[in-house]
Amino acid sequence: MKTYNELPSDAGSNIVGQVTAQANRIQQRLTTIKHTVAIMSGKGGVGKSALTANLATALTLKGNTVGVVDADINGPTLAKMMGVRDATLEYTSIGVKPAVTALGTKLISMDLLLAEDDAPVLWNAHSQKDAFTWRSTMEVGALREFIADTEWGELDYLLLDLPPGTDRLPNVAELIPNLGGVVVVTIPSEVSQLIVKKSVTMARDILKVPIIGVVENMAFYVCQHCGEEEPLFSVDETLDEAFQQSLLGSIPFDPQLARANDNGTPYIDKYPDAPASRVLVQVGKKIQDFFISTV
Amino acid sequence: MKFLCTDCDTAMKFKDVTRPEQGSVTALFECPDCFTEIAMYLNPSETQMLKSLDLKLGGTNEAAQPMQLVRSQLETAKGESMPDMFSSETSSAETAEGGKCPFTGVISEAFQEDTTPTEPTGPTWTAEALERLERIPAFVRPMAKMGIESFAKDNGHDEITGEVMDAARGNFPAQF
Repeated sequence: MKTYNELPSDAGSNIVGQVTAQANRIQQRLTTIKHTVAIMSGKGGVGKSALTANLATALTLKGNTVGVVDADINGPTLAKMMGVRDATLEYTSIGVKPAVTALGTKLISMDLLLAEDDAPVLWNAHSQKDAFTWRSTMEVGALREFIADTEWGELDYLLLDLPPGTDRLPNVAELIPNLGGVVVVTIPSEVSQLIVKKSVTMARDILKVPIIGVVENMAFYVCQHCGEEEPLFSVDETLDEAFQQSLLGSIPFDPQLARANDNGTPYIDKYPDAPASRVLVQVGKKIQDFFISTV
Repeated sequence: MKFLCTDCDTAMKFKDVTRPEQGSVTALFECPDCFTEIAMYLNPSETQMLKSLDLKLGGTNEAAQPMQLVRSQLETAKGESMPDMFSSETSSAETAEGGKCPFTGVISEAFQEDTTPTEPTGPTWTAEALERLERIPAFVRPMAKMGIESFAKDNGHDEITGEVMDAARGNFPAQF
């Protein structure tokens, strides 16, 4: 009796061919994108999405063409933060035209596809029972289509805002084998850094993805009256030494940044002289320098 | 997945796939030498896994539609952002080369559950036979029903009775 490897094909479904076609669609789309950057943390609530929105703005204001993938399929926030929640996606024969901000940054997000504010991401299924067996696969499929089927055009940078969890970067690295680099976001708390270290290990040691650097978010608080810097978290909390070596910047907490995100206003464009804006612009420049140095 | 006809030691070929019924899909494979057919049943979870991978049983000749997985599978989607991707043009059974593909119509509708009411064209079921049908495990019941109806049709039975089910029983692994 013939063995598996002796049989010539999979009876006609050509599953390998279909999977290859999916990968080719991504590769084809990426040919017009110079640099891909994943913004990740591993830990939730550290400000990845706010950082992504503002880095995209910083890079755009420097004259780059920038696209953003809101890779948080179940908790998409970037359409609101970037002020394009009312955009209607347009489908063409070659892809989907992304939402475009007033400054010209392009965005694709699940939020642009959901019917109502309170609508969760729910997939068609005969039953939602045992959905844990296939939901993650569906989410990766959605992310694949966000990258492959959006009409990005020529981009200098495509930023991917990853949801919390160390398992997300492997998905992205599989979809984008030549991922340009990773920006790691943390806050000055031991709990955050404990989780973020795992993400760094995953990126650097397991996936061999270049780490562009670490951003310390909510690093301190600047008094709006006297300008004095105060720690937002415990005074004993310091950034891990390993993170300090690759620090791209320490962003102070600014309530105006949170308000700008809620209003869909580009913070660094509205408050260019704010301390946080200056650091965000610096971080954007360091990302650009990273890719210049690796050419 | 590959399938072997153990009598002929020949790789079986994909023949047809049904639309999901109660979440389950049936794929038929045929031996090109002896024409023996086998049915592969996917339970709802297996069907859903295949859907989530955006893979088509039997392959496809059609180019992927932009965001076809999200557009066809997101239940909580905005209406205006989800134009009908399955236009009459794309759901045609004609392939790009102009050939007639026996399963393209099914594939192009990408696992959409068949909810269209249809006129009964096959044999009718007696109450006793229906009761016995209900005893078959739910995840294989649609396929068993289809198989019994096919058996009845092939053997000239207009009505499926307990006797017809007994006669058909030898062809199926499920006990009923």
